[in-house]
Amino acid sequence: MTTDTQKVTLTESKKEMAPGELTNKDVSIAYLRWHFANEIPHSFERYLAPSLLYGMMPVLRKLYKDDNDLRAAYKRQLLFFNTQLTWGGGIITGLMSSMEQERAKQEHNNEEIVMTDDLMYNTKAGLMGALSGIGDSIDSGTVQYIFIAIAIPWAQNGLAAGALFPFIAFATYQLLIGLFFARQGFVMGKSATGLMESAGVQNAIELLSILGLFMMGILAGNYVTVSSSLEFVISGRPFIVQETLDTILPGLLPLVTVMGIYWYYVKKGLKVTRALIWLTLILIVLAAVGIL
Amino acid sequence: MDTLTIWQSLIIALWVAAIMSRSFLGGATLTLRFSPLMTGLVVGIVMGDIAGAMVITAAIQLIYMGVFSPGGTMPSEPSIAAAIAVSVALLGDLSPEAAIAVAVPVGLLGSYLYQFRFFLNTFIGKATDRAVESLNHKAISRSIVLYPTIASFILFVPLVFIALFWGAPVIADVIATLEGTVFLHILEVVGGGLAAIGIATTIYVIGRRDYMVFFLLAYFMSVIFRDMGITMVTYAIIGTLVAAIFVLSRNNTAKASSANGTNTVDGSDDDDDDDF
Repeated sequence: MTTDTQKVTLTESKKEMAPGELTNKDVSIAYLRWHFANEIPHSFERYLAPSLLYGMMPVLRKLYKDDNDLRAAYKRQLLFFNTQLTWGGGIITGLMSSMEQERAKQEHNNEEIVMTDDLMYNTKAGLMGALSGIGDSIDSGTVQYIFIAIAIPWAQNGLAAGALFPFIAFATYQLLIGLFFARQGFVMGKSATGLMESAGVQNAIELLSILGLFMMGILAGNYVTVSSSLEFVISGRPFIVQETLDTILPGLLPLVTVMGIYWYYVKKGLKVTRALIWLTLILIVLAAVGIL
Repeated sequence: MDTLTIWQSLIIALWVAAIMSRSFLGGATLTLRFSPLMTGLVVGIVMGDIAGAMVITAAIQLIYMGVFSPGGTMPSEPSIAAAIAVSVALLGDLSPEAAIAVAVPVGLLGSYLYQFRFFLNTFIGKATDRAVESLNHKAISRSIVLYPTIASFILFVPLVFIALFWGAPVIADVIATLEGTVFLHILEVVGGGLAAIGIATTIYVIGRRDYMVFFLLAYFMSVIFRDMGITMVTYAIIGTLVAAIFVLSRNNTAKASSANGTNTVDGSDDDDDDDF
């Protein structure tokens, strides 16, 4: 009798302690929490790790019913972490969710732990750099500025839409693409298909890169204004340097300026502040002596 | 010389602190921080001149194209720059080019403040550790979201307020007295040329040296058609089509060659090129 009831309570408690099954909804909530807390606790010590922990909290609580296991999981997701919001953050929150799911099952069934702390951390560390490289240059460096490029003429005409459109468009884009990557990352953890190598994502990256370069060309043509104010009087006739330049190649000086800075970056690396100071000095000198 | 009222200064300071703390709107604050546009609009609303503010903000935006933080370091804080420079320009009735001259140094100073925020958050991290140890879920959330937000507000609100309330009229005065001198010509040249920085930075960040032809194509298109009044939306559509044609035709070539059996390495053109 007593052993019987003991058995019942034991299986019941074991059932109670069993890790919950994660759904797409759990992963979406984890991503949204990460998205919301993304850079708030940014510190020199752990960078964005607290934001990742904040995102993963509901998932981990669903998986680990034992306090010690839960605490260990929290600590696991609080180790140094730094990546980009949507590509890195999305894929990694999804991936960590599916890996923690495996880990929780292995712990619960007293199996050998395949999902070790090291394996999980190395997965995170291996991906966070590469994904932030891709994510930063595609999202912040390209997509954001495509929206801004479209809106700049509106702002120049004094319209509020010039500010509202890029903000709303980019915020919506990031939210949607982040959720997409989180779900893909969750599936990827199960099936181990390389999302980044998929043809669709590769094509999208390429298309956005080309469109980004194209829009920068349009912006450079319209808004970089470098022109020569140099004028000579040669045998009684005025000789305006800019007019001659225009007959050679319209828009030569702005193009030379943009390509000059680009060339500086290629040679010296992305030193924006230095390029800014150099260009300012050069322009001041050329303007002061009357060449520009 | 006009000055900002206490309330105007305070509202702008609170807006900047909200962006810098990265709270309230989460990931959406990314574009608020990297671009001066929304901050310029807020300054315009607060000062009652949206149109004037947007014109100045558009000029500031051009030098901050390509600004974002690869690896977490950012050379400038465009939204702080806009908060001060747009206010100064509206107060002193300055040209957009002159406003740029104000924005650049302010943005550089702002980036140090943002770094200082990381330093403060390092201490708040200890509270997260303690909360995790005692498994107090509410305390963990507080230490991750609430405390860093409060710390950022304490850091940014007073400094931005002081800069606006006492600093802006002084800067506007100094720049206004320079008007009509050779300095104006220099400011205009610098303001027009600095837009190249943002565009070059963006090109470099996109990092596809092999695709530079698309930049050049668009550049000359816009120079040739400048007087035709073609909108950016039209150009964006053309750009998308050009990009799509390129990607499609390349995929077809890859498919054709793999169908021939000569090349089974699908996507071998998955270039290992530019280190960006």
